[in-house]
Amino acid sequence: MSRDVEKALADWLAGGGDRIGEIVIARVPEGWELRHAEDAGHADLALHAQPEAARHLANLDAAGNFRPLKTVPTLVRGWRLVLGDIAAVRRALDYFYPAMTGAWLSHTRGELVPVVLRETLGRQTGMYRVTQKLTDPQARELIDRVCAGCLKHRLWEIAAANPSSPAFPAGSLPLLCHEACNLLVAQAREVVKKAERAVT
Amino acid sequence: MLAKPDSALVIVGHGSTVNPDSSAPTFDHAEALRVRGVFGEVHCAFWKEEPSFRQVLHMVGRDDIYVVPNFISEGYFTTTVIPRELELDGALTRRGGRVIKYCEPTGNDPRMTDLLLRRAAEIAPGVDPAQTSLLIVGHGTGLNENSAVAAKREVERIAARGLYAEVLNAYMEEEPLIAKWDEYSTQPNVVVVPFFISDGLHSYEDIPVLLGIAGASPGAASAGGREVFQRNPYHLRGRTLFYASAIGTEPLFADVILEQVAAFDAVHAA
Ligand code: SF4
Repeated sequence: MSRDVEKALADWLAGGGDRIGEIVIARVPEGWELRHAEDAGHADLALHAQPEAARHLANLDAAGNFRPLKTVPTLVRGWRLVLGDIAAVRRALDYFYPAMTGAWLSHTRGELVPVVLRETLGRQTGMYRVTQKLTDPQARELIDRVCAGCLKHRLWEIAAANPSSPAFPAGSLPLLCHEACNLLVAQAREVVKKAERAVT
Repeated sequence: MLAKPDSALVIVGHGSTVNPDSSAPTFDHAEALRVRGVFGEVHCAFWKEEPSFRQVLHMVGRDDIYVVPNFISEGYFTTTVIPRELELDGALTRRGGRVIKYCEPTGNDPRMTDLLLRRAAEIAPGVDPAQTSLLIVGHGTGLNENSAVAAKREVERIAARGLYAEVLNAYMEEEPLIAKWDEYSTQPNVVVVPFFISDGLHSYEDIPVLLGIAGASPGAASAGGREVFQRNPYHLRGRTLFYASAIGTEPLFADVILEQVAAFDAVHAA
């Protein structure tokens, strides 16, 4: 296997890593325990033991709304997930924060190539082709609005790679955004459509 | 039996920003295949959800990667969006030491006919097919123009088996309209199966309203979601009507996904 995400995760945990997004990971006699960071010290948590439980825990926010973007900090509280091995921890994290362990490994290997917004929009076809009309000020406003509510660190800019290098707290696994998500692209469409309606 | 411990499987679906049921069957099939241990690793990716098409290849450890689109037909997504977003060169892509094998969409599989028949029999137990009209519901035309073609193909295949008194297509926004089901179906029993990859607003709300088995007020049917499939049979317009959930929720879809991999190998001599 040319890329071993599980080994990278195991090394990170062994090196004292204990935090990813809103989740804290702790060594327990049974293996590993994941819980919401704000539930640290709580005893009355619902116990889960299968990595697949993470998929259902990550699905809806506390108000019952679907969470299409998992790095929006609306993960529900009140649970703990105890897993026996690293493979299970990795699977659970792939549900809680899809692709983030893999993207981080790619980043450390220099393989996570940031794609600037203009390139992402320039590639769109069908109903999203219109996003190519997004102006720079509109893009700026959109990024400030949408990405502000997301825990990922943006590696891209509107027309250039984001020069600010990620400064992550020690022990925290970085959540990296190497390219605008579909939610942002869909919002870009709304912005362009709205501006077009305003002039007609 | 297929055994590919050195290969990864990536199942790609459409997903939704509002409804978790859109990606649920794809995740379910991935889980089922993971448990079977056919592949060294199994991942999902979605256009509208995470992991995204642009992220998923970073999750993969193995260099031999099968990509199976969980879509009801070939169309805009399988021919344009997925190849573009995954940067595929065609059926076979070699890049950076990796081989990416792009398979046919699940809905193209010849087994679809059996799955539809199975679903139809399951929801109407003890009902005589010789006195039953079977309606296969498809998306209309539009960007996904081929899904209507796929639905027509399935109707022809099922009709050719001669089991049901009649087998008909129905669409939400074009003729033959679902809403007029009682006008063009002739049998005392009517079985309705959506030829969709997943349940969602269409199957929970829109189709039930068109069929007349749920109120038209927004949220009337969706409040119960899946419940609409549990109240069979419905007695209305002088008929007995049975309404099934989307065909893509059928657990045997996991086998259909494997079949796409086997078919790829057969064509490209692994
Ligand atoms: S574009 Fe990236 S940073 Fe912005 S909201 Fe989407 S995932 Fe988060």
